[in-house]
Amino acid sequence: MSEPILRAIGLSKQFGTAAALVRAVDDVSLEAAPGELVLIMGPSGSGKTTLLSMLGALMKPDAGRIFIEDVEVSALREGQLPRLRANKIGFVFQSFNLLAALTVEENVLFPARLVAGGVKAAGARAEQLLERLELTGRRRALPRTLSGGEKQRVAIARALVNRPTIIFADEPTGNLDSRMGQEVMMILRSVARDQGCTVVMVTHDSRSEEAADRILWLEDGKLRDRKTDTHVWRRDPVCGMRVDEWTAVEKSRYRGRDYVFCSHECLSRFEASPAAYVLATGQE
Amino acid sequence: MWYWSLKSLFAEPLRLISGSLGVACAFLLVMVFQAVFEGESRQIVAYIQNTDADVWVMQDGVENMHMASSLLWNWKAPRIARIAGVTEVASILYMNTVMSAGGKRWFSYIVGVDENAFTGGAWEMTAGEAWPQQGEAIVPDVVAILSGLSIGDTVQVLDAELRIVGLSRGTFSMANSVTFINKKDLSRLMDAGEAVSYILVKGSDGISAQDLAARIKTGVDKVSALPKQQFIHRDREMALQMGSEIIRIMITIGTLLAVLIAGFTVYYQVIHKQRELALAKALGFRHRHIYAGVFLQAAAINALGYGLAVAGAYTLMPMIPLVAPQISLYVSVESLVRLGVIGILVTTLVVFVLARNVTRVDPVTVFQR
Ligand SMILES: Nc1ncnc2c1ncn2[C@@H]1O[C@H](COP(=O)(O)OP(=O)(O)OP(=O)(O)O)[C@@H](O)[C@H]1O
Ligand SMILES: [Mg+2]
Repeated sequence: MSEPILRAIGLSKQFGTAAALVRAVDDVSLEAAPGELVLIMGPSGSGKTTLLSMLGALMKPDAGRIFIEDVEVSALREGQLPRLRANKIGFVFQSFNLLAALTVEENVLFPARLVAGGVKAAGARAEQLLERLELTGRRRALPRTLSGGEKQRVAIARALVNRPTIIFADEPTGNLDSRMGQEVMMILRSVARDQGCTVVMVTHDSRSEEAADRILWLEDGKLRDRKTDTHVWRRDPVCGMRVDEWTAVEKSRYRGRDYVFCSHECLSRFEASPAAYVLATGQE
Repeated sequence: MWYWSLKSLFAEPLRLISGSLGVACAFLLVMVFQAVFEGESRQIVAYIQNTDADVWVMQDGVENMHMASSLLWNWKAPRIARIAGVTEVASILYMNTVMSAGGKRWFSYIVGVDENAFTGGAWEMTAGEAWPQQGEAIVPDVVAILSGLSIGDTVQVLDAELRIVGLSRGTFSMANSVTFINKKDLSRLMDAGEAVSYILVKGSDGISAQDLAARIKTGVDKVSALPKQQFIHRDREMALQMGSEIIRIMITIGTLLAVLIAGFTVYYQVIHKQRELALAKALGFRHRHIYAGVFLQAAAINALGYGLAVAGAYTLMPMIPLVAPQISLYVSVESLVRLGVIGILVTTLVVFVLARNVTRVDPVTVFQR
């Protein structure tokens, strides 16, 4: 393994005090190499988002150190962080977080004014990203007119515009249906493989595992070896995808039976008319 | 950030317009108050202002016209006329009283004038005669309108019934309208004998009003002599002592209202866009970028509100006297500028107050679904 881009040593974070104390992240150490796609998986509430916030320098750890390239992020002063975020880090979120008043192109260029050269210098790069993410035709569109998949592609283009060394993504496929989710996964995969940009991604989606170089399993704030027998494969009644019941967040109960879903999208469709899907998939 | 700031603002025109309208209403309120205040404070000294005297001479110890009374021996007028530099002299009798017209009572300056005086009478007429003979009166046109009288009707001043022969313009004010009657009538009504109230003096071009006043003071016993501008200044101060407190309070309230509305609008905008601000932080924007963005929004809302208020003032104010002729309005550029400056201060203040909110925006919130 080459020199790691990201190195975290003994990270801890707790919330609340005394009886209400939550050890959201508890003594976690990890590394990620250039061009690596690392998945962080684990049950809901296991501390994935907290861990990612600390790695991305959005939250201060209670204990531990974080290095991105050779900079000790955890030792930087508050005033030094914006520069680091603008130059080295890209974020992709479950809820896209596009700026509602700005067009697709303006959203992509939004962080460009923070780096040397500014928007002018980033023009060609943005152009290229829009093309690669198949957004050229929608460059003047406002976010509210875009589909979920398009929104997430805009968010990815925005994350990439300043050529970051590392991208942190928190459930980037969580609000997308399975086809769009897969598309986004493939894009992130190629970002890591083709551009050498490290991607650290939190997900519940077991189908992402195939694309990952490495999977870290977080449980109760600690990294653990994932036991293979924790896979309990079930079928999503809407799209027919294989879903791991253990990690699935989208669940529903209908006529005394539990169903799991690959995405919120599928869950909503199911809840709108459960009978249709139960019959269609041949389940009673 | 400024680009985001303005685009976000204009992306929701309803919010922008309602916010600006709110600010505009508050500003307009202040502008109307100020215009009434300015108008009235000008109107209060309109008589002195429009009388063509360089120096006003009055009883020793008296320094006002408003709420004052002054009596001088009539023979002092020819004595003043002989002082070097004096070109014209006229004398008036004057008292403050209530005049009855059309069943209403008007607090009024009653000015008794000589027919042949060089100044001291009505300076602009709507209708009729400018100089009253005995048994006649010139009343403000606004009094005539409001009490339903016209030329030929009568008004009562003390115990005299006088016939209206002229309607004067610019002589009405809520605190002191000016009614002109013949000096002989007023002398009889006041039982003033050989006395006059003020002697109006005009000097030759080469001499300043200041010097002329000083010469009169040394040349004539027991008189007070004030240059016109100084006399106006004192009188305005005296007259405004009473009403100004209330108007100041109203202006302050209006300004506070403008502050509140502007503040609330911008506050709402910031809260509403909190997530986008959090995102900006997560992407690496600094507090100062975010302040600048918020400041720009506040400034834009305020500027728009101010512009609307000025436009509103210029369309609305000419209409007010049509509905309420007793109100004198005066919009001074100075007061508009003052209000504009207040607007900028407000904007800065609002952003300052919002500062905590803006800095507390936690970039981690971007992870929420
Ligand atoms: N700001 C906070 N204050 C208090 N407790 C918090 C805070 N943020 C997270 N927690 C708690 O820390 C734990 C870990 O939360 P976190 O959001 O990191 O989990 P997660 O693995 O991302 O969950 P999910 O899969 O549902 O997104 C949870 O018990 C959560 O309630
Ligand atoms: Mg989470």
